Amino acid sequence: MTMTPTPAPHPEAPGVRPRRFWSVTPRSDRDAGDAITSNFMLHAFPAKVSKASMAWSYSFWLGTITAALFLLLTLSGLPLMFLYVPSVERAYQSVKDIEYVITFGSWIRAVHRIAAHAMVVAVVLHLARVFFTGAYKNGIARGQHREWNWVIGVVMLLLTLFLSFTGYLLPWDQLAFWAVTVGTNIASAIPWVGAQVRELLIGGREIEQATLIRFYALHIIVLPGALGGLFAYHMWRVRKDGGLARADREEITEVARQVSPSPTKTYTLLGVTTGTAPTVTARSLEAPNTTVNAVPDLTRRAMIATLGTFAVISILAVFIASPLEEPANALITPNPAKAPWYFLWLQEIVTDTTIHMGSFTINGAFIGGVILPGVLIGLLTVWPWLDRSPSAVTGEWFPRARRTQNLVFILVMVAILLLTYVGMEMRGPYWQIYWPWETWPSMPGRI
Amino acid sequence: MEQRTNSPYPRIDRPMLAIIGVFLVLSCVLFFASDRDHDWRYYQAAFKGEVATQFGQERAAQVTTGIQQIWVADLGRADRCITCHQAVSWKGFENAEEPFRTHPLEPLKAHPIEKFGCTSCHGGQGWAVDVIEAHGEVAHWEEPLLSRALGEDYSLSGNKGALIQMNCNICHRYDRETKGADAINLAKRLVDEKGCRACHVINNRGGRIGPDLTRVGEKAPEQYDYSRLSGQKTAFAWHVAHFKNPKEVSTDSTMPVFGFNTEQAQALAMLVLSWRPADVPAAYLAGAPRTDVPTPEQAAEELRMRTGPGKWFVETGCATCHSIQVYGVKAPAQIGPDLSNAVEDVQSRFGRTIDDFLREPTGTMSVVLSRQIILTPEQKAIAIQKLREAFAVYQKQQAEKER
Repeated sequence: MTMTPTPAPHPEAPGVRPRRFWSVTPRSDRDAGDAITSNFMLHAFPAKVSKASMAWSYSFWLGTITAALFLLLTLSGLPLMFLYVPSVERAYQSVKDIEYVITFGSWIRAVHRIAAHAMVVAVVLHLARVFFTGAYKNGIARGQHREWNWVIGVVMLLLTLFLSFTGYLLPWDQLAFWAVTVGTNIASAIPWVGAQVRELLIGGREIEQATLIRFYALHIIVLPGALGGLFAYHMWRVRKDGGLARADREEITEVARQVSPSPTKTYTLLGVTTGTAPTVTARSLEAPNTTVNAVPDLTRRAMIATLGTFAVISILAVFIASPLEEPANALITPNPAKAPWYFLWLQEIVTDTTIHMGSFTINGAFIGGVILPGVLIGLLTVWPWLDRSPSAVTGEWFPRARRTQNLVFILVMVAILLLTYVGMEMRGPYWQIYWPWETWPSMPGRI
Repeated sequence: MEQRTNSPYPRIDRPMLAIIGVFLVLSCVLFFASDRDHDWRYYQAAFKGEVATQFGQERAAQVTTGIQQIWVADLGRADRCITCHQAVSWKGFENAEEPFRTHPLEPLKAHPIEKFGCTSCHGGQGWAVDVIEAHGEVAHWEEPLLSRALGEDYSLSGNKGALIQMNCNICHRYDRETKGADAINLAKRLVDEKGCRACHVINNRGGRIGPDLTRVGEKAPEQYDYSRLSGQKTAFAWHVAHFKNPKEVSTDSTMPVFGFNTEQAQALAMLVLSWRPADVPAAYLAGAPRTDVPTPEQAAEELRMRTGPGKWFVETGCATCHSIQVYGVKAPAQIGPDLSNAVEDVQSRFGRTIDDFLREPTGTMSVVLSRQIILTPEQKAIAIQKLREAFAVYQKQQAEKER
């Protein structure tokens, strides 16, 4: 019998240094290298980032703020999932419990609610910023497809609205029930398939247990999952497209110049050759004057935007209580019954385009609820292909070449805001207009 | 190692991050503090103090702390009232001020707290643990605490604490008399005396001239028309005004003015608001009557009127408002004049013959005969015939009296 020699342990693969955490104080270049390869942040972000795209005044960091709000919503939604019971009998009571007796319950709920509203606002502002700077346009680099990232962004806006809308129903109070009633009734104005769309949406013909569980599943799994997936893709595309559009602009406007080699840096070419003095011609991206290291400058700013968002929402949540009206009652329509605020402009258009002529009524739900939002979203989606302005203005705020389209965009936004204001603040009982100086008639109580 | 890029950012961004850190800490302090800041903590400490002064430290140590609740699964109620009202089941606080007063024992014998909770009788918001919210004096809570204070707000003219009786009567609606519910008992007597059932169905019995009142207490406050009501806009205020003068709040109403005083009108308003379904398991109603049957006397009286000589008037519906004394028919709501002497009475009131008047009635009768009791010409002829017969009997009686 021959003894088989015990195989020698595998020699450590060159370059692989398994390490649980990266070193904060690297003792060698190799440690520093490990720190880079095992650092998620360094892979989420490029190594260098242009100073111009770091500026607060360019992007207002609205995308980061939106992502921070999404993170906050996920974090605050998690404890709510443990406490909330998605059944018609128990939903309202479980929200009362969250509000009154759960430790930090009312704060968590307020954080979740305020962050949700804020996210709708942040997404819209982010979209407006991208539009005004023409950031959906391709600059100079090859393989850019910013227009597709814009389309993904529009889809993410719709998902955000739908996420907020599905969350609206969950407390199962009058506000929830009737906002969803108004919202889904608008959907039923779609020609031919309207009734079916509404039925699919609410899982039947009436808003009941089937609707609640449907909205709950959409709200906690399907939509956040889809949004998270698209978010990852959205970020990946930003990197594939060479960063913010502002960075392209930097390269366009700057003249290439000789950059003297850094005396302390070792330049290598695929490990074949190393040296200290190749002379390169560089434009902005690698130029030390116009770029900074992503870590820590970019990560620090991302931290500021994220934690700043957390702090603001958290403090607001202490002072702004979340409403909870009477339990949902299909027999009593609150007066006035309103859609969630971000759909109020649509409800307002539905009202204004509903024309009564004697006993004959033209229902505005088709125009206000289907045609108009359909056209707007359609235009928004295909806009990058319609925008014929030169790529030189990519990443510039309000360039002359895009003056008309920016103006039209502003006008549409202002109109939407005005209609939203009218719907929110001026529509009183019986959907009458009340001016700010007029008091609404008081609503009756039982005792 | 490579030299760091000469970055301008740390100089501004680091202090900025530090400030945000401060805000985060501040927000933690704020939400911790706001979560601690509940009224019940104060009341529990105060109650402990009360017990210590009255019964000594040892008893005080037995006082429970933290949120307390009575969970009644059958009723779906979680009443946290006892978080502050800790003396409810303590002897020795009978004369203390609320929230530290012992609950009177008598009502609890038939309604044990663990089976009924607090809010099923008292109203209020059992889920809440702060004073204003728990007492239900907040928007979107339609069942406020039915307290003496609320009664004072309403300037109840009788017992200021009577509002709670509304909740008694949700289960005790079929009682002729409920112990301790004086206002409701008064209202129930009025319902019988004034013959509300002549026009209204109440507990599935009665006439169909007015609306069915069996579940009127369920009607939402939004469903009333307050346009002619001054002052508070509540279902309760509407009913009080309506009982005093129906036409004033509802112009189409044909309900007569009964001349109720404020106490009576308020008692009736409480009664009708209590007429809503008792959403409790059957076992809870074991001690209370389950249906509303007329007393034997009432039943005998009705049978007598329906089968006696005044039968035609009862069946046609005249007897709802008019008595026909000569036949022993007594109208439940004596709104119109006695029909025994209608033949001469109509002549003296309107200066027209009974034939002429019935053919073309004026005033209230024109409304009644065009909307509620619609008679063909043949039926009208029978009516005249019947009235003449009654008048003949009336004349005979008068003659006998004079003799």
